[in-house]
Amino acid sequence: MRFFDLLSVQISWRNLWRNPRRTTIILTAIVVGIISMIVLSAFGRGMMEGMVKNSIDNLVGHIKIQNPQYRIDPAIDNRIDQAEKIAAQIGELLPDDVQLATRLRLDGVLSTSREHTGVMIVGIDPAAEKGVSFIGRPLYQGTPLQPEDARGLLIGQGLLERLGLEIGKKVVVLSQDASGEGRSKAFRIRGSYRAEMRDTEKRYIFINLKSFQDMLAAPGSATEISISLRNANAYQTGTVEDYVDRINERLDGLGLEATGWRQLLPAIAAYIDMFDVYMLIWFVVVFVAMGFGLANTVLMAVYERMREFGLQRALGLRSSGIIKNVMIEVLFLLLIGMALADLCSFFLVKVVFRSGIDLGSFGAGIEMWGISRIVYPVLSLSDIVMANGVVVLLGLLVGLYPALHAARFTPIETMRHL
Amino acid sequence: MRRIAVASFVVFLMLSSKSQAADGEALVLVQKAFDYWRGLSSYSEFSMTIHRPDFERTMILRGWTKGRSDGLFYVLQPPKDMGNGSLKKGRQMWSYNPKINRAIKLPPSMMSQSWMGSDFSNDDLAKSDSILDDYDHAVVEREMVDGHQVFTVESIAKEDAPVVWGKQILRVRDDFILLSEQFFDEDMELVKEMTAEDLVEFSGRIFPKIWTMRRVDERDRFTRLEYHILEFDIDIEDRLFTLASLKSKKRLQ
Repeated sequence: MRFFDLLSVQISWRNLWRNPRRTTIILTAIVVGIISMIVLSAFGRGMMEGMVKNSIDNLVGHIKIQNPQYRIDPAIDNRIDQAEKIAAQIGELLPDDVQLATRLRLDGVLSTSREHTGVMIVGIDPAAEKGVSFIGRPLYQGTPLQPEDARGLLIGQGLLERLGLEIGKKVVVLSQDASGEGRSKAFRIRGSYRAEMRDTEKRYIFINLKSFQDMLAAPGSATEISISLRNANAYQTGTVEDYVDRINERLDGLGLEATGWRQLLPAIAAYIDMFDVYMLIWFVVVFVAMGFGLANTVLMAVYERMREFGLQRALGLRSSGIIKNVMIEVLFLLLIGMALADLCSFFLVKVVFRSGIDLGSFGAGIEMWGISRIVYPVLSLSDIVMANGVVVLLGLLVGLYPALHAARFTPIETMRHL
Repeated sequence: MRRIAVASFVVFLMLSSKSQAADGEALVLVQKAFDYWRGLSSYSEFSMTIHRPDFERTMILRGWTKGRSDGLFYVLQPPKDMGNGSLKKGRQMWSYNPKINRAIKLPPSMMSQSWMGSDFSNDDLAKSDSILDDYDHAVVEREMVDGHQVFTVESIAKEDAPVVWGKQILRVRDDFILLSEQFFDEDMELVKEMTAEDLVEFSGRIFPKIWTMRRVDERDRFTRLEYHILEFDIDIEDRLFTLASLKSKKRLQ
């Protein structure tokens, strides 16, 4: 006997629409539940991908070569000597579309006539930053840093406003050289940048690598070589680790170390690993709420048709046949709900939220976690499959209860039942 | 007698450098004023009053200076802060706290912070010489006040100089007493000013008794130094300006 014999399917389908209002209500519950699962997971995934992208853009890169001591004590003592030469050597190991950026990044103080503030001074090669970090993007105000500009400085718009400065103003930057002596130099603000995070805007100032090296009397040195992979999926595991191993082989004996972004940003890597489990828990929670409604509706439908089940039994249908009919009914309910919900969530994610969800009103709070102001939801096949799978499997499991109930009716019992 | 000699020297400078070398004259004036201010060496006891809208506190300090670069200061009162010291050598500074018995070298990032909570910054103490090299000086005004000629020197920061000020305006009397120092930002807006009042004679030298540093944009906030004892050109051994001496307690007596 086939499970889906035409008669059972037909009976179940008609039963479903005997009480259209009840069916519609429970369908709504299923649809809303599944939409919430899919859209929320797309939202969460979008948030996560934004977070990864932000963090990598935030002067991290996919792979970073540093003196291992620099991560403990970010001082000029823990620098990379002859950074250009090393960068060139490493470049040979990597595919052509990989970008390398050499930076000298140290703590310092930015002084104006009214205020002093602690900043991170980053010496960059402006041309190398394009497409690698946020400073390579177009500026908010002013002109970009020219390669030969020894006195130019880029500042975050947030810091510019906080210090009451304007483009073209002079500031004094101070940092410590290798002997611990303070060295200061006057710079002019050429432009201001906007970053995803306000905190970044207030923290980083950018000058030409060469002029920073001159200021500290440390020619040719840098503190990091950042490597950006072109591959869009580079935040997945695998590729990055391969390159890291190859680079580390080459760096052997130089006292330098290459690290992948998963090691550089352990909190974010852990969050990504946690995300799937987190979503599954969310799906189950939504389902529990939905499942009780489903069980209750089907149970009501079953009690309503009690005498009908009695008749079917009296005509010779076995209890397994009754279970089958009820389960097919439940399955129909779930499949219709899923189809509608998938369409709706696809529409929501691809059309309604296509230009992102602006979280500006929660700005300050979410930025603490490194989340962008605008989140672009990302639909992932695995999330959709997981949401639908959870609903079908658990839905059938829940449907089993009223089905078993119906199967227990005997013709005599149902006759007495009015 | 000496004052007349000095005055005539300045007048001579002014006459001899009529138009084009006005800068040289102003530079000498500033240099002499700063040298006069510090003396070759000095010993002083002074009170420092830090005034804020909601509180005011007064400390009594004792200090020695030698040449342009060395200085040693201690807090005598209030008892809570007694023994806190600062040592300045060249452009470096150390701070000593007797409670933890540690002398801490101020990192460069701390140099722009305020000195002992006052309106003076560590840089004001450690780097004041920078005015000689980092600015272009010109005398912009001469006037007679109480029988003395007073020069107003405008010092404009050099383009590349690592200084935050746009310009400073110094008022110097013909006997090289610095009467006021004003700090302007790049838009030539006044940010803070130091004024000297109450000229009295300390061990044979006319010197302002009261110095006030105030920020212009903040009302009711200033720091006032008042000298009680001030001796100039005394013998001080170089070893006074060492870390060991900063930690020694006998200077407090």
